[in-house]
Amino acid sequence: MKVLSRKSVTPYVLLVPLLVALGTLMVYPLYKVVENSFYEASFLAPFQREYVGLDNFRWLFSFKLFDPRWSYFVSALGRTLLWVTGSVAIKVIIGLLGALLLNNRLLAGKKFYRTLVIIPWAIPWAVGAMMWAWTFNSQFGIINSVLLRLHLVREPVPFLSQPTSAFLATMVVDVWAGLPFMFIMLLSGLQTIPETLYEAASIDGAGVGTRLFKITLPLLRPILLTVSLLSLIWTFNSFDIIWILTGGGPLRATETLPLAIYKTSFLYLRFGGIGKASAMTIAQVTLVTLLAVSYIRLLKRGSEQSWG
Amino acid sequence: MGLKKKLYKVSVLILYQLLAIVILVLPLYLPVYQMLITALRPADLPWLSPASLFPEQVTLNNFNLAFRLVPRLPRYLLNSFIYGVGVAVVSLLIAIPSGYALARFRFRLREPLLMFILYANMFAPIMLLVPIYVIMRMFGLINTYFSVILSGATFTIPFSTWLTVSYMQTIPKELEEAALVDGCSYYSLIPRVLLPAISPALVAIFIYAFVTGWSQQFILALVLIKSDELMPITQGLYQFFSRSSVQWNELMAAILLSTLIPVVLFVSVQKYITKGLTAGALKD
Repeated sequence: MKVLSRKSVTPYVLLVPLLVALGTLMVYPLYKVVENSFYEASFLAPFQREYVGLDNFRWLFSFKLFDPRWSYFVSALGRTLLWVTGSVAIKVIIGLLGALLLNNRLLAGKKFYRTLVIIPWAIPWAVGAMMWAWTFNSQFGIINSVLLRLHLVREPVPFLSQPTSAFLATMVVDVWAGLPFMFIMLLSGLQTIPETLYEAASIDGAGVGTRLFKITLPLLRPILLTVSLLSLIWTFNSFDIIWILTGGGPLRATETLPLAIYKTSFLYLRFGGIGKASAMTIAQVTLVTLLAVSYIRLLKRGSEQSWG
Repeated sequence: MGLKKKLYKVSVLILYQLLAIVILVLPLYLPVYQMLITALRPADLPWLSPASLFPEQVTLNNFNLAFRLVPRLPRYLLNSFIYGVGVAVVSLLIAIPSGYALARFRFRLREPLLMFILYANMFAPIMLLVPIYVIMRMFGLINTYFSVILSGATFTIPFSTWLTVSYMQTIPKELEEAALVDGCSYYSLIPRVLLPAISPALVAIFIYAFVTGWSQQFILALVLIKSDELMPITQGLYQFFSRSSVQWNELMAAILLSTLIPVVLFVSVQKYITKGLTAGALKD
């Protein structure tokens, strides 16, 4: 027992729970994903599997479903990139506008609004998606009701059952889910900018625009980048919202990579299966890893001292 | 001149309130408003076209009907609570010792481990769903609280550990060094000295992991939980949502009831959330 109390051994003992937990439920599963991607296997016959080499990766580019132009995987990947970029861009823009507003001394009731923007976070995204599904409803939802009253549309729009509108609607809901985080993070970033900078700029005669573009945005840049990267990663992994709103439909218009992985693993047992889903997962993990590496680099540059 | 100035001030005030409504309130509260008016509108009142923007009549009867539609509502809420507390407890139990090791000791694997923890924080259940399912089946844990708690905690442990490390780096080492001189071992000083000193971080971690465990277990439960008795609130409500004819008034009333508790909880611990999250993700 004395050995365990040595200064050189202690940290490793303390780290045992972490290593066991992440080893069993994160590293080992990740290894299994890599391994499975070389096998043909499915939940149809769970104990049979066959080594197929790189076939599953070839399948990613050869298997076509409905769409003659692109393979099932490539179309899901392209759709994901479009969906994620759009959603994160909107989140960052509205998030930045909201944070600037929440930090503005001319806004009365700042404390009230700051609480108000955190509350939706307590609503599970899955439950939020159900609320939104009803809000988008063509007959009874308030969005259509307002559009009809303002005579912007003649007929109610079935937002969730048309490909393009469903794609945009799922993005809107994802923006909703990510906004509280954006508001709070960017606000806390704005609050780190010293007030004296603005005062000095005012004395020098700088207007609102100059202050925004010469002080606020340059100083906010590191935090803006960090938060955008984090948001990109989370949005890449987004599943609940699309699953509940459209299930990937109509006509696969909202089927992003996470949905394709889920369906290929658990639903498309005949032409899909674990091996093919694992190959897709590797693509997903690779993309997230690329983003994660940029994120870690950014953090390291931002805070060298805490790594010493 | 005085009147003009006053008018100017009032219009600026109004302009900013309008901006706040358009940028902050509308995008976040549109579905909440829809949920509220539907939950409060009598279920037997015929629908108008275009649909009304506020309830013509208000009733609380939908809350009774909600329990008839979703008889297990209290059970789902209890389950979500169990998942939340479970994930939070497991996260804390693992984050405390590992955070201590990473913040206070210098050893060869420290830097790579910190990197790995940051990287692990980017993982989501969807990537590991099949192996997690297979592992849980191997241990006979399918359809148990443990399966969702353990797999859910896997994804909150990295950030919880990161938060512990960041917080510990901001507090002085003197107390711990004094305790070591007094004959404490590295292990026994954890409950005596360390835990009281980092209690704010522990609260932040608990809240973060609880909220994640409470609300973001949808996909794990979808795969790991089969029986109605163990479903979290998200999955429980989803059963009634995915039916071909949804009883919207009752469902929205059920949603209102189920979001009330976490919202109240959230508002009361709000300042810890902001502090914890910003400290962990941005590092100041």
